[in-house]
Amino acid sequence: MKLEERIRIEPDGSVTAFSGKIEFGQGIRTAFAQLVANELDVPVERVRVVLGDTAQVPFDFGTFGSNSVAQEAPALRLAAAFARRSLIRRASAHLGLPAARLDTRGGTIGDGDGKRVSYADLVRDAPLTGAVPDNEPLLPPERWGSIGKPLSRVEARDIVTGRARYSADVRPARLARGAIARPPARGGRATRVDDQAARAMPGVIAVVHDGDIVGVVAEREEQARAAADALEIDWEMPKSEPSETQVVAMREDAGTDAALASAALTRSATYTLPSIASASIGPSAAVVDVRPDGATVYAGTHRPFGLRDAVAGSVGLPKESVRVMPQMSSGTYGRSSAPDVSVEAAVLSKHARRPVLVQWSRAEEFAYSPSRPEAVLEVTAGLDASGNMVAWRYDEHTNVHTAAGPDPRVAAMTSGRNAVPPYTIPSARVVLFVEPTPLRTANFRSLAAAENVFAIESFVDELAHASQQDPLAFRLRHSGDPRLRRVMERVADVSGYGKKLPARQGHGFACTLYHGTYVAQVAEVEVAASGAVRVLRVWCVVDPGLVINPDGVRNQVEGGIQQSASWTLLEELRHKNGRVATTSWDTYPIATFRDAPESIAVLVEGDSGAPSTGVGEPGAVPTPAAIANAVFAACGARVRDVPLTPQRVRKAAQPVA
Amino acid sequence: MRLVLTVNGARREVDPPPAAPLLSVLRDDLGLTGTRFGCGSGQCGACYVIVDGRAVASCLMPVRQTADREITTIEGLANGETLHPVQEAFIAEDAMQCGYCTSGMIISAAALLARDAAPDEAAIRDALAGNLCRCGVYGRAIRAVQRAAGTMAVAVGSPPAMHR
Repeated sequence: MKLEERIRIEPDGSVTAFSGKIEFGQGIRTAFAQLVANELDVPVERVRVVLGDTAQVPFDFGTFGSNSVAQEAPALRLAAAFARRSLIRRASAHLGLPAARLDTRGGTIGDGDGKRVSYADLVRDAPLTGAVPDNEPLLPPERWGSIGKPLSRVEARDIVTGRARYSADVRPARLARGAIARPPARGGRATRVDDQAARAMPGVIAVVHDGDIVGVVAEREEQARAAADALEIDWEMPKSEPSETQVVAMREDAGTDAALASAALTRSATYTLPSIASASIGPSAAVVDVRPDGATVYAGTHRPFGLRDAVAGSVGLPKESVRVMPQMSSGTYGRSSAPDVSVEAAVLSKHARRPVLVQWSRAEEFAYSPSRPEAVLEVTAGLDASGNMVAWRYDEHTNVHTAAGPDPRVAAMTSGRNAVPPYTIPSARVVLFVEPTPLRTANFRSLAAAENVFAIESFVDELAHASQQDPLAFRLRHSGDPRLRRVMERVADVSGYGKKLPARQGHGFACTLYHGTYVAQVAEVEVAASGAVRVLRVWCVVDPGLVINPDGVRNQVEGGIQQSASWTLLEELRHKNGRVATTSWDTYPIATFRDAPESIAVLVEGDSGAPSTGVGEPGAVPTPAAIANAVFAACGARVRDVPLTPQRVRKAAQPVA
Repeated sequence: MRLVLTVNGARREVDPPPAAPLLSVLRDDLGLTGTRFGCGSGQCGACYVIVDGRAVASCLMPVRQTADREITTIEGLANGETLHPVQEAFIAEDAMQCGYCTSGMIISAAALLARDAAPDEAAIRDALAGNLCRCGVYGRAIRAVQRAAGTMAVAVGSPPAMHR
């Protein structure tokens, strides 16, 4: 790693840091600024962080998997520490004092209260450069100024004043607006486009039919949409090509069937989860300016370099001539791994020879953007006479969980994420079946982990009750991981798990280990006679290793829980023959202010001796099971199908004849 | 269609297509992009602005109906560099993630506190029920509105200006 790719000391002594990761509201710009400020011993306000600009940052594969801090914290800290040491070396020559006597303070270097020199003076003649040693020493914890301090987001003032610029707010000179004509169902190709009427409409600049893209460029958005609607198009629908189911054995212990057959108690259950929408509040948008010699792309994207290559390919430019400048983006929770809207804007811009903004409508966003696939999870377990799990069989049926399409090399870590339970079980067989779907599928928040953990943690709860054991004690007896045990015990403690609650209220427990982050939750719900579930309170203890910004972690985990509660109680993307039927907030409701729990208490108790791990996704992962287990505790209804609608709860609560 | 609008205290002349909604005029003609497009059908709250004291969905409001009315957008809440107490409170509570819905939430909250200085939690939830947030900052936003109400109660006799 070269220092100059990561850290630059500016002529005014401020610091610029570079990373290929992207800010979607996770707070990584803030956390990165804290890390760099800490090692360079400057106030956080003196650090500017450039994220994802392909002309300025080192290559990065993408922002997903809650990996930003885990991957980037070590690199940025090492680079900043090396920059500090390099500055001290220069200061030593400048001041004529041995480096060992010098120390940093607020962007200056000196010997105690004696003569000091500023960072700005030390880079006046030559910028800092050089290879960063892998073993560069970091500042000891007693010298930390920023790490571990709660900090509001560095973008906060721009956000609350409306100054923050999102992709759809970029207004280059001569900006035109684009609208796309959509096929009746996914994959349709236009065989004939009659644009006579559209071309004559007010404001129309160009009608474009290029490959799979048919669209209109006009001076105003209303004009572009009206003209796109006026196009007469013959569509050819693709012949359905049934793809094959991929089967991936994720754990296969010999003797699992025999262990099940000889178990003292066996139970089986099937859990289902529907397809759900990313449901970003801001529909996808991009501004692209294609010129003969290159292109500039202003967009929200999880993969700036992947997007650069996709846009370059779509308009026939060398990828080096395309610059992706990521903008503030509505949270898309993985959906923006797909380059779609930017490619559309690029193709329209190429033909119109103007910068073009394409912003999808709400209906387009629901109908054509990729979504989380559905899952059917079949599980069987056997317990011995003492109540220990001795055998576990788990079949996960789902679809591809990435925008990239089926890839057997990554199926286990994507569609199979968290399918193997975090418990000690002597014999287990876990098999993943990745089946075809007519829907576009997304890299949605936590990929398959939320689905798998719903099934696993619901079923563990069922096993505990079936064997007359306390659900927490049952989990603890099957867990040897001290960090997992600690978050479980802590959340039970702070929530009063197990205490008596009023009628129709219940506590539900669930936990996960997600990409190195430990999470345990207790949900408190109330179930009305109608079957309606209200989440009253949620407690969560999270251990993500070394914590950079405790309030940033809390915010992410709270939000994950809130979003996941919405998935659990409300959300289902309905579709028929590959066409999405739920294309508005009416038909695809999400949680509102009225649905928000009275409190979501997140305790951030990171093991500061362990490396930093992610928090963007893990908070959302155990919540569906915590809620379902709470519903069971409240009213005896075991609901195995998400969403937990009043009808399903009522039905499950009926005594079996 | 020539119109004169009063936006954030200033008279602005515009010439939009007759059917244009206020939102597209704010964003595309006046460059006030802090008001966001979310759904175009008044269901998400991202485009809320204050018109004559009430928070309304600017995506549904025909611009021709807004001449001679006082329009306040998110850009008009602060007084110079002095933020509106609701804006201050959203920063203090870090009541945002991606921030896309934040403008609309702050508009709803400012309109609420202008008509009810001490709303209880249920009133806050009701007033902001039209503002969808996917990142899930509802709890923080409720605390921010409560904090702003507290700040404004302390500043007795000096209610914040809606705009310059």
